[in-house]
Amino acid sequence: MSSPLDKPQIISHFQKSLNYTVFDSKWIPCSAKFVCLGNYARGTGVMQIYEVQQGEAQLIKEQEFPKPIKCGTFGATSLQQRHLATGDFGGNLNIWNLEVSGTPVFSVKAHKEIINSIDGVGGLGIGDGAPEIVTGSRDGTVKVWDTRQKDSPVANMEPGEGETKRDCWTVALGHAFNDQDRCVCAGYDNGDIKLFDLRNMSLRWETNIKNGVCCVEFDRKDINMNKLVATSLEGKFHVFDMRTQHPTKGFSSVSEKAHKSTIWQVKHLPQNRDIFMTTGGAGNLNLWKYEYPSQRSKTDSDDLAVGVAGSVTLLQNATVSTQPIASLDWSPDKKGLCVCSGFDQTVRVLIVTKLSQV
Amino acid sequence: MPLIVTDYSWTQTDSTVFISVPLKGARAERVDFLSTEEYLKVHYPPYLFEAFLSEPVDEDRSTAKVGNGVAVITLPKCSNAFWEHLVITTYDKEKKKEVRERALLKYQERLCSESRSKAEKQQAEKKYALETMMKFEKEERDRIVKRKEDEREKTTAELAAWQLSQREAAETEARRKLQDQRDRQDKPKAPTGKQEKGCSEGAKVKLDGRGNSEAKSQKAPAPLPAPRRTAHIQVRFTPRVFPTALRESRVPEEEEWLQKQAEGRRAGNADVEELKDLREEERNPEWLKDKGDQCFASGDFLGAVNAYNLAIRLHSKIPALHSNRAACHLKLKNLHKAIEDASQALDLLTPAVPANAAARARASVRRGSAFCQLQLYAEGLQDYQAALKLDPHNAALQADTQTIRDILQGSATGTH
Repeated sequence: MSSPLDKPQIISHFQKSLNYTVFDSKWIPCSAKFVCLGNYARGTGVMQIYEVQQGEAQLIKEQEFPKPIKCGTFGATSLQQRHLATGDFGGNLNIWNLEVSGTPVFSVKAHKEIINSIDGVGGLGIGDGAPEIVTGSRDGTVKVWDTRQKDSPVANMEPGEGETKRDCWTVALGHAFNDQDRCVCAGYDNGDIKLFDLRNMSLRWETNIKNGVCCVEFDRKDINMNKLVATSLEGKFHVFDMRTQHPTKGFSSVSEKAHKSTIWQVKHLPQNRDIFMTTGGAGNLNLWKYEYPSQRSKTDSDDLAVGVAGSVTLLQNATVSTQPIASLDWSPDKKGLCVCSGFDQTVRVLIVTKLSQV
Repeated sequence: MPLIVTDYSWTQTDSTVFISVPLKGARAERVDFLSTEEYLKVHYPPYLFEAFLSEPVDEDRSTAKVGNGVAVITLPKCSNAFWEHLVITTYDKEKKKEVRERALLKYQERLCSESRSKAEKQQAEKKYALETMMKFEKEERDRIVKRKEDEREKTTAELAAWQLSQREAAETEARRKLQDQRDRQDKPKAPTGKQEKGCSEGAKVKLDGRGNSEAKSQKAPAPLPAPRRTAHIQVRFTPRVFPTALRESRVPEEEEWLQKQAEGRRAGNADVEELKDLREEERNPEWLKDKGDQCFASGDFLGAVNAYNLAIRLHSKIPALHSNRAACHLKLKNLHKAIEDASQALDLLTPAVPANAAARARASVRRGSAFCQLQLYAEGLQDYQAALKLDPHNAALQADTQTIRDILQGSATGTH
């Protein structure tokens, strides 16, 4: 009787029903507030800021925008400023000061089509080097922006002239362990995962996981890249061991099939990089733990080092909704507290217990 | 006809009557008892013993014991009276029958009610068992829910406490800053003028826990590296024909569709024998058209014509092939063939929609120029005018049309 209750439990703290489609929800660092981004039925974008008070959410601020907002990140802002970088349906990248409504701090028409995914690094006291924002769009390009350089991106990964474009569905930054190195990982709808090295400005690795890639995330942005989780359609996700790259075989990986439907998001626990949560298209959440193998690399027949992938165990699962959970964000301040939002126009704050004992 | 047993014996006490009936070798299982309060029957085929009791007895407490070749029946009396006789002998046949039937009925009723009460009791027990189980499960569930609730409350409390501590930290920060500012204002120092401004802005800090990093505003922030030098990385995607996302489960369907498309594009005609020695690509009219276009561009007009011929043989309904072959013939000065091909192209390009306007314009121009070279300027002008209608802004076209008009005028006046 006691052993099932010794596992981490996913408990719903409260949920808030919204009157718009919410695409993304993120904790505001160093506070008990979170921001929800989405679009109203009338086709305009909305950003709402809620504060968690006594077991429910109080709306603090609301702002409407001409275009619906798809994604946002606090990754590239400092702890004092806490500006939110958002990508919207019109391909505009804006950085907002949440205290001040009106004009954004930084604005650029980044892409010709909707920005599907955004990530930032170098802010929040995490990582060295300049803060940079990466955006991935339906026009097939991935662009890296530095707020000091407004008119053109610092790096642009695009297909050649006349070549077919595939939608870029997700981007992630990592390998930012000093102020020069950065890596951008991008996932596309035809199953391609590409890893770009921004120091050498080249493609470092690419692979195809045979299903459209919904979300990629490094386990930590500010270390030498350790693990990368990529989730895809058809309920599969892959965990790549990024420490050892083989010249032809690339990175080794372990894959799991879960959720029986699209895995929309994966997010690593900020306090423990081996625990991550995946969200599924049927409104379920799975909490996983990665275990390292006894030897992380071995030499193959040609005397080249090749990585060894470990194993993944399911710690807990919970079904909180019937619609896909499109976004999940762990609170960087309180271990186990997370906010997730789904396409049932609801944002939920969940508590995951006993994570220290895993 | 059963044999009546008469050699029974009976004794009595104040409250009970004991009857002993010899079983005459019958086995215990075969003995059947029927007793009501006024009638007793013991039946062990072929023997029958029946007694019409003189006084009523308590049938619920009557018992019978079978053993040692006798059946001992114990009948507790309803009233403690001494029985003169065991049985009533004065009953006539009718009465006996009546009593028997009554007894039988009563017995059956008794059995019925017994079975009913047994069934009821069983059901009551089952219900009780079910309720108890449900209660246990509910308790279990409640226990789990309570644990979760406790966890939640604990976390809420922790969160509230943390928020409070953040606020307090912010307040102390603000107070400290104010203090610093006041200290600095007392001893004015020029270089700190700028920092003061920064601090006063920070003093307006809202109580949401931003304060702790303001403390570090005293020391200069580490200089950020310059933005990277802009670079482009060219990307090539794994080729995919369909615009939809790749799903493993859909791959077989997609392959099938592609195969069917490829087959549909291939030769439908009968000259299979001749085409056997052609390679796979050479059967594809599109590939042949490309080949033809390349030859035309490089000036190999005969080669282009050959390619188009083969393509048309394979698939004669593509207007572009005819139109391009017309252009080749023009260059080769095969004017009649050019006219034929251009006409066919125009026929294939019906219905006249904006999508094929460019193609129709081209075909018209080619036919027009063929006519002109054959000196059939009237027809040529017609075609050029049609082309101009489709593509009114083409300067070269306008100039050519004008030239033809002039020639026509000139020849008209010339003949007059």
